[in-house]
Amino acid sequence: MRRRVTNIFGAAAAFLDRSRRFGWIDAALLLAALAGAFGVARLAAEWTGALRPAVEIDLSLRALPRYTLLSLSRGLAAYVLSLLFTLGYGWWAAKDPLAERVLVPLLDVLQSIPVLGFMPGLVLGLVALFPHSNAGLELASIVMIFTGQAWNMTFSFYHSVRSVPRDLGEVATLNRFTGWQRFRWVELPFSAIGLVWNSMMSVAGGWFFLMVSEAFVLGDHDFRLPGLGSYMSVAVARGDGRAMIAAVVAMTVMIVALDQLLWRPVVAWSQKFRVEESGQAEAMESWFLDLVRRSRVLHWARGALGHASRRPRPRRERAARRSAALARAASLLLFVALLGGLAAGGAALVHLLRALPGAEWLALGGAAFLTLGRVLVSTALGTVWALPAGLAIGLSPRLSRVLQPVVQVVASFPAPMLFPAVIAVLAAAGVGLGWGSMLLMLLGTQWYVLFNVVAGATAIPADLREAARVYRLGTLQRFRELYFPSVFPYLVTGWITAAGGAWNASIVSEYVTFRGDTLMTDGLGARISAAAAAGRFPALAGAVSVMALVVVLFNRLVWRRLHRVAEERFSLTR
Amino acid sequence: MAEVMPTPRAVANGEPLCELRHVDKEFPQGSGTPLKVLSDVSLAIRPDEVVALLGPSGCGKSTILRVLAGLTQATRGEVRWHGAPLEGLVPGIGFVFQSFALYPWMSVTENVEAVLRAKGLPPEEVSARAARAIQTVGLAGFEEAFPRELSGGMKQRVGMARAFSLDPELLFMDEPFSQVDALTAESLRAEVLDIWAAKDRNPSSIVMVSHDIKEVAYMADRIVVLDANPGRVRTVVVNDLPRPRDYRSPGLLQLVDRLHDIITGMEMPDVPVPAGAVIEPIPAATPSEIVGLLEYLDARQGREEVFRIASDTHREFGALITVVNAAELLDLVDTPRRMVVLSPEGQAFVRASPEDRITLWREKIVKLRVFQLVKEALARDERHELSREFVLELLALHLPDESYEQVFDTFIGWARFADLFSYDDQTETVGLQH
Repeated sequence: MRRRVTNIFGAAAAFLDRSRRFGWIDAALLLAALAGAFGVARLAAEWTGALRPAVEIDLSLRALPRYTLLSLSRGLAAYVLSLLFTLGYGWWAAKDPLAERVLVPLLDVLQSIPVLGFMPGLVLGLVALFPHSNAGLELASIVMIFTGQAWNMTFSFYHSVRSVPRDLGEVATLNRFTGWQRFRWVELPFSAIGLVWNSMMSVAGGWFFLMVSEAFVLGDHDFRLPGLGSYMSVAVARGDGRAMIAAVVAMTVMIVALDQLLWRPVVAWSQKFRVEESGQAEAMESWFLDLVRRSRVLHWARGALGHASRRPRPRRERAARRSAALARAASLLLFVALLGGLAAGGAALVHLLRALPGAEWLALGGAAFLTLGRVLVSTALGTVWALPAGLAIGLSPRLSRVLQPVVQVVASFPAPMLFPAVIAVLAAAGVGLGWGSMLLMLLGTQWYVLFNVVAGATAIPADLREAARVYRLGTLQRFRELYFPSVFPYLVTGWITAAGGAWNASIVSEYVTFRGDTLMTDGLGARISAAAAAGRFPALAGAVSVMALVVVLFNRLVWRRLHRVAEERFSLTR
Repeated sequence: MAEVMPTPRAVANGEPLCELRHVDKEFPQGSGTPLKVLSDVSLAIRPDEVVALLGPSGCGKSTILRVLAGLTQATRGEVRWHGAPLEGLVPGIGFVFQSFALYPWMSVTENVEAVLRAKGLPPEEVSARAARAIQTVGLAGFEEAFPRELSGGMKQRVGMARAFSLDPELLFMDEPFSQVDALTAESLRAEVLDIWAAKDRNPSSIVMVSHDIKEVAYMADRIVVLDANPGRVRTVVVNDLPRPRDYRSPGLLQLVDRLHDIITGMEMPDVPVPAGAVIEPIPAATPSEIVGLLEYLDARQGREEVFRIASDTHREFGALITVVNAAELLDLVDTPRRMVVLSPEGQAFVRASPEDRITLWREKIVKLRVFQLVKEALARDERHELSREFVLELLALHLPDESYEQVFDTFIGWARFADLFSYDDQTETVGLQH
């Protein structure tokens, strides 16, 4: 009798124990899922709602969370789009040698084209496509952000798929993994780490375009969207300092939250996809991931999902061969369609450009030199402070522990949000936009240099630093002979990214609307903005083409060579 | 023909499971002639046997395995499977890799299950077979471990479990134990043979690649000795020692000796190669390796047996032979049969001061045709500079069978050591130094 009681008691205790593990983290996750569903429903209403002639921005603090969430939803939607594009395009380029020959150079050109140059055309086109709802404008904003996010992710994925180690690929071949199994078990895991890092970079860079596209005004057409970008622009227009600060705080909170709740956990989780045995000395940790791993709900969900995906599909040799043939045909068809699209696009572009008189081309050439100069000066200025600062941070474990997260947040902060404040200061100091625009470019791009130098400095082998200390090298000699050469490859990467960002930034920093006035200085970026504002499409196409050409040429002639020198002479890993 | 069931070991003449007939394999090289790795290789794998491919590095052992498996196509010749020409991949084989080739993001169980799921087996059978295979290789308890947590030997056990779980008719092993510590390798060899010996189960036959003479004498029924550059079948040695074998049994020691003789006979020919119109290839050994060999010999009264040197210096046999051949090319050593003997010139070299060594080395290498050719070309050039491309073409012209990029690296290494030519890696130019 007694034993039975104990048994019953034991069972009950075990049940309670199990149910107790259904802890608050589960409740939080369920709540988050509900909130997410509600948010999506609200978003759908927002999208399909009647087209607003002009957005009314409520500057009260109560409205701010809603604007922040709207901005966040656009950033995330664009990221999902970028990820899908990356997986599709990157995989296709890596798998089809015929398509690869077009897809890879095309990607190279695409990433050189200043995204903001597309904006007017994109916005007008999509708004015309959805004349009665907000969907067109929302889509335009998302596609804008997408064009700022996708390319580097795609390149990273393409390279990873191409460089799957031979033996890992052979296991898949020998055991006749299906295309999907090879993708799911080999290629995707192998690319995971690169994809995660590039995703972080891309999303951080995406806020820049989000701010610009939310506050977009073309001539006297108001294309603004409710969000942090428009909130900020209205606050600036009205000179509302409290609202400006609130917007900056909201942006910061959003970036920190994303970092802690999304990227940290994903980075920590992705460590299991490391291929090399040792590598990365410090263990990546995330408090949120640890919490989530304790969740029971997630555990159940994963089990159920895993079970569903494990249903076997009987293999039929002939069916497999037929589907392979089908895939080849589809690939060829897509390829032909791509070529057709490119040819049509090229023809349309040539037609547009023919309307542009010769004198205008000449002026564009001059403007290109002006902007090139600004891009280089702003990159150089960034290097002047970021190189010593990056070395200081990277060489001191204490400093890098404290400052690294701060730098990450600051770097993700979209520079256009700060433009109005900087312009006000510049105007007060009597500095024109000719010089001031360089400062505006610098605002967004200096972080790339800093980031890369910090990474390079942390990677300097301890024995090299010890040798420098043992032989009592002076500070200057140490910098010249150890630090600078060892961070040089990283510095070059930083320069390439920073210069790319500066080209984009030139479009919004050489031509600025400030308190109702338009400030501008001659340059390629200003010409793009001005042509867009006036709706002169041949001029717009011409300016964008020239910029793309200059960027591609400069990449080929300067950056790539510098990169090769850095890799061959200063790489520490060879 | 009579039905030959793959039952007892005695059946060594049944119809082959798979077969290579007059197979050539070439790999394209950047420019110029393709590199020939296999030349006229014919080989049949019969049921119920262990075949070992033995040879120095660069003899195309791994390539033979990959052609047999259908992973790479032969340039010429025929690959047959169960009497019919092979199309695509060989069905039903297990493959054990030198580098283990485990997916680092999958646990032990997931690694094994992946290949079973790819076969489209029902989930119950997938987990049952994986569990059994993991049990067989002695990894029970490590099912949830990730490869990076395991030692080399344990990783290779996972590789074997993955192969055995498929119940393959043929098991291919590409230097399976060369990245595993010696003691573990010992037990893995015995375990593989135990599994193979259970006659009611697969694998019926094993094809393994190795450069370890003792290993093949212990494991194989037939040992295919290969020549390098390009890979050719030198001879096939039948090993009918009774199993289980003992490393110290006289029969096995005799076989090891015989294999040693075959390899030294072909790798270190006692008759010097006649100096004809073609120039002699320079073996890919660095000067410091050659000097190291001389110092080693000098410390042992100037002579030692070549296999002893290999085990003393922890060198793969084929790599050591390269160094010995290089030293012999420079007349620094002699190789009567399996001995390596310091020549009088070698002795003088070892005793010389660092400066004199450089002079001696230079005197030696300027006698070689390759260095003469480049020196003449340099003298003809008005700026006394040659591009890397030019020298590569020169090498390709005179040494069509070699990987000329590798020859170039060796060439530069020797010339730099002699202070004969300089080489600028940035501009890729060879200059005259002396």
